[in-house]
Amino acid sequence: MRLDPRARLLLILLITTLAVLAKDIAYLAIVFFAALAVNAMLKINIIGAAKRMRHFIWLILFIAIVQSLTVKGGTALLSVGKINFLTTKGIGFAAEFVLRMGIILLAGLIAASSDGREMTDGLLKLGMPYELAFMSAIALRFLPVFRDEFVARINAMAMRGIDIKRLSLPKKLKVYGYLILPAVSGCVIKSEELARSMSARGFGAEKKRTMLRALKLTWTDWLVMIIAVLLTAAYLVFMYTYGNLFVL
Amino acid sequence: MKIELNNLTFSYKKRSAPVLEGVGAVFEQGKRYALTGRNGSGKTTLANLILGLLKPQNGNILINGEDAAKMSAALRAKKIGYLFQNPDLQLFAPTVMEELAFPFELTGTLTEEKQDELQRMLTIFHLNGMEERFPLTMSGGEKQRLALATVMSRHAEFLILDEPTSAIDRECRSFLTNFINGFAGGALVITHDEELIASLDSPHLLKLEGGRVHEA
Repeated sequence: MRLDPRARLLLILLITTLAVLAKDIAYLAIVFFAALAVNAMLKINIIGAAKRMRHFIWLILFIAIVQSLTVKGGTALLSVGKINFLTTKGIGFAAEFVLRMGIILLAGLIAASSDGREMTDGLLKLGMPYELAFMSAIALRFLPVFRDEFVARINAMAMRGIDIKRLSLPKKLKVYGYLILPAVSGCVIKSEELARSMSARGFGAEKKRTMLRALKLTWTDWLVMIIAVLLTAAYLVFMYTYGNLFVL
Repeated sequence: MKIELNNLTFSYKKRSAPVLEGVGAVFEQGKRYALTGRNGSGKTTLANLILGLLKPQNGNILINGEDAAKMSAALRAKKIGYLFQNPDLQLFAPTVMEELAFPFELTGTLTEEKQDELQRMLTIFHLNGMEERFPLTMSGGEKQRLALATVMSRHAEFLILDEPTSAIDRECRSFLTNFINGFAGGALVITHDEELIASLDSPHLLKLEGGRVHEA
């Protein structure tokens, strides 16, 4: 399904708000599955994205394991002497953390799967000043360029006979210092060139703007937005009326 | 110094068409090679494979008869020098002198003899008096000479130069061609610049087309 960027932005806002407000694992699980459903509805390749973010997912799982071993309280599941290593509360905390991060990643996928230019247009329609929206679009546009340049510089270091993996920590830090200097000055030089290029093309010369692509909300967009708002309201009313569903 | 490419095949994505397919070539000491080909034909990819920055899906590379797959890029860099198309990407330090010296500092090999040698390199590469300059604010030609000096400071036996004349003036171009012609090791020049090819001493002309290297 193709949705207007404003509808996508609303879905992201609702999902992330609920991820913060959800009171326990049960509520978080509902939001997690709702976020999964939205991703599926938008035909986002979740498995492919999970593969790309595997290092980050491992990090989340590692933090969750540490959390489950260090948070005390509830019933002890694993003890050595008088020290409890695994408790029901620890597992609950870890599960909440994993679900919350999962929801945020799924919301991030909705944003990442959108065309950067369309998102800018959506922000403009929502009343964001053009300069700010344009800056966001430019920032997104240059991310891959900076990533490629950084990889090229790491390669250039290897070409100078420097194997970063084999260096001691102080020397590694020094190499990173050498990598940051040209990266920062490269950004400054690029932004100056960009500013000159934009001025040469008359950026900001006319107050009135016209758009190449005009965004228009379809009935599908309205339907999705209304259902999303109603479901969110029902969820919040239920949560604040009945309180916790799952107490550890 | 001898580099042998045997049946190299490479593609950037598993299911996409290979950029290079069954490439075979031999590069030897004391010889100059000029590699041409259309944009996107895989010239820089081939250089990256030789340097160990990319790994071939098929085939192998032998450097002096040894399988290069066992050598890291940093190890290969002791024998093969690479001049990037954009010298900005291979300059890091806040001053010219530090640019030359920092790899030796990091590897604990910055002896007094080495420092003297680096001073001499400043003269050879016409960088005298620029020791304290910030490399990234130098002219295209100065950056190119500094990048070449950093490559030569490691006594490379074979040079790969990727479009070396794309951003330099006539004076620097003349310096560069004289340098390549006078270099005792081997050199592979990747270029579209016919004037540069014409000014090289008896170069072996190679063309990359359809994923393969042909004698031009």
